[in-house]
Amino acid sequence: MASYADSDSEDGLDYSTNPAWADVTPLPQDDGDNPLAQIAYSPDYALAMSYLRATMAANDHTPRVLNLTAEIIDMNPAHYTVWSYRFKTLISLDAAKQLDTEELTWGWRSELDWVQSIARQNQKNYQIWHHRQLIIDHLGDPTSERERTDEMFGLDSKNYHVWTYRQWLIRRFGLFDEEELAATAKLLEEDVRNNSAWNHRYFVVFGKLGAGKPAEAAVVAEIEFAKKAILTAPQNPSPWSYLKAVLRKGDIELATLQPFCESFSPILSPDEIKSSHALDILSEIYDEAGDQAKAEKASPTLYFKYHNPVAQSQRPIR
Amino acid sequence: MAAAGGSSQADEVHGQGTQELFAVPETDDSEFYQQPFEPVPAMHLSLPFIIDGLNTETSSRQLSTAQNILKSVKQTPIPNRPWIFYWCINALAALGEDVGGYNDRTVASLKPLQHKDGGFGGGNGQMPHMASVYAVVLTLAITTYHASRDLSEAERFKVYAESFGWIDRKRLLQWIRKTKLPSGGFKVNEGGEEDVRAGYCALVTLALLDFDEDELKGDASLGESPLLDGVLDYFQSCQTWEGGIGAKPHAEAHGGYAFCVLGALCLLGEPGEVLNRHMDLGRFISWLSARQYAPEGGFSGRTNKLVDGCYSAWVGGCWAFVEAGANGAESARSSVKVNVGSMWSRKALVRYTLTCCQSPRGGLRDKPGIHPDYYHSNYVLLGLSAAQHYYYYDDRGGSALGDKSPFGHGFCWRASRNVPKPSSGDGDGGGWEEGLVQREEDRVGTQHPVFNIPLGAEAQLRAWWRLARQTAPDGEAASD
Repeated sequence: MASYADSDSEDGLDYSTNPAWADVTPLPQDDGDNPLAQIAYSPDYALAMSYLRATMAANDHTPRVLNLTAEIIDMNPAHYTVWSYRFKTLISLDAAKQLDTEELTWGWRSELDWVQSIARQNQKNYQIWHHRQLIIDHLGDPTSERERTDEMFGLDSKNYHVWTYRQWLIRRFGLFDEEELAATAKLLEEDVRNNSAWNHRYFVVFGKLGAGKPAEAAVVAEIEFAKKAILTAPQNPSPWSYLKAVLRKGDIELATLQPFCESFSPILSPDEIKSSHALDILSEIYDEAGDQAKAEKASPTLYFKYHNPVAQSQRPIR
Repeated sequence: MAAAGGSSQADEVHGQGTQELFAVPETDDSEFYQQPFEPVPAMHLSLPFIIDGLNTETSSRQLSTAQNILKSVKQTPIPNRPWIFYWCINALAALGEDVGGYNDRTVASLKPLQHKDGGFGGGNGQMPHMASVYAVVLTLAITTYHASRDLSEAERFKVYAESFGWIDRKRLLQWIRKTKLPSGGFKVNEGGEEDVRAGYCALVTLALLDFDEDELKGDASLGESPLLDGVLDYFQSCQTWEGGIGAKPHAEAHGGYAFCVLGALCLLGEPGEVLNRHMDLGRFISWLSARQYAPEGGFSGRTNKLVDGCYSAWVGGCWAFVEAGANGAESARSSVKVNVGSMWSRKALVRYTLTCCQSPRGGLRDKPGIHPDYYHSNYVLLGLSAAQHYYYYDDRGGSALGDKSPFGHGFCWRASRNVPKPSSGDGDGGGWEEGLVQREEDRVGTQHPVFNIPLGAEAQLRAWWRLARQTAPDGEAASD
């Protein structure tokens, strides 16, 4: 029997002559009279969709639905209705203990492998990762899921859908652990400007606290982590934002950063200014201290005077 | 202006007629979706810093392309057909085209998408989806507005009744209830993913279909709770450590989701109040300012990501809300009404749009080297409209508060061609920004900042609902 995710076959499934589908009368698409933007689907796609409509109308969740939905997903991986119906079918087959049997050599693990292969080819897709989330939630087992997402980060380390899934995974299974922290450090070592990894790090360190207070050691460690990253690229906005956010979370005054910021952006030697973000913080610090003259001087405009013509017109607001 | 020839392959696929079907100038549009992207050139090295006009030749090509796409889309397996309607119809309207002629066919095309249990799917027989629902309502609001704007009131209301009277409001509301989460968030469909896009689309739909407090409260005896409970707090919880806003709590700050949250908040309250109560506006402004890059002038969606023309709408669109929010905060601090003026570099965005986003063969795009598409065409034009006009909140006579719909604040937006320069904060007028529009023919239409439809369409639609519901108090407007 063909694989239940047999989406590579050249000719598609021949529904009209296949005895497995003989009992189904396909339901053609109703686009209304004289429709706008009628989509000229390929004949294969239109036929498969006609069988799906008939299948859904009959609430059919037999194994053949897996073949049908796989074929449609292969042609149209953003088709949320098909993904949803496939998941319901899998749940129904699971409940009937029909998965991974002699008759149906397909189960959750083969499904997850297949989904991963679809994900590799379709990176900007909401449905794939949601489907995966539903399955892992149902199985209650996160084994090797971090590796699966790591593989995707190898293709695009800022993939929003994959990060959303990863966060769900960490929260669902309480994986706020050393391994997760190390994973963010590794990604940032590869690309210190990966803002998604910075976001995830903040989530791993502080995400489970809610409005609660973080441990002092964690705050100190994160301040050091951010400062080290800033040293490698002083005009990278991510670690500066991270640094400010950690201070805020730890209830530490911004003024403690004054020497660190001045080492990047000495306002009396404009030629040596290396970071507009340092100026930004200095301006805030001087302002809070009531030193208006210095605050004016430290306005990021000073940096952009040398580096960035467009942003001069942006008006910082306090 | 149907292009001559057309693709014979397309005709074959359709098996109906010839040039009416799918004819785009020069090349086949299906490539838009299928070809791998070319590498992005170093645009700041290759582009002169001059303001080009909105190229009339290419924008009319954009028009003809969009008009053709409204006839048929070849093998684009987009699972959400209403998006194509909305992107093309709104882009045409923004370019000054009258889209009223599409109204009857739009209605006929959308009817098969209504699900028997309420809501709209992306295609006939598909499950309802929040994005489809949103795109359906927006498209109808635009085509009906244009189709009826030169008619007498009685005739106009008749057109609205035909366009909207068939929508099953009651079942739609029941379906939206099923997407609501206990956290105050929404899912895009039953069993689908949760994000603020779903919440924004739900609120826009409810506002444009004029649901009132009583309907949203629900029937406690059926176990229904007030639909808007927890919504404000949920949106608030999406502001991140960066100051921006993510798709859901803890997700990375992102321009598209930021627009959804600010738009939704501004439906539920007066911007000066709601944005200062439910956000740290100062930190948001810092993040938003950082989205505009030099030397490109366009916006990125996230920190350390590249500029993309579609963020002209998502990030560019946030500024009207933010300016209104800042006016509220500054006015509360002083005893007089303060106008902080324009807070962003509109000129830089206009320059990016005109020099980088116009495809030589028509349509608008992410950036040079990338194919134009209908999504970008619409949102680049929306962004251009945000830069060319000053959008401001003006609740004349406090009508929003007295309204029995909770979305009254969404109907108080106005537009002006005069963009006030940033003021120094002491209330002095700094004059008007100049040079945003070089030639009047480059000006695109005014767009409602929350609903993203031509400004005025929302008021006309609400006027009809109010009349229709007066005559049919159960809320089901009769269509003849």
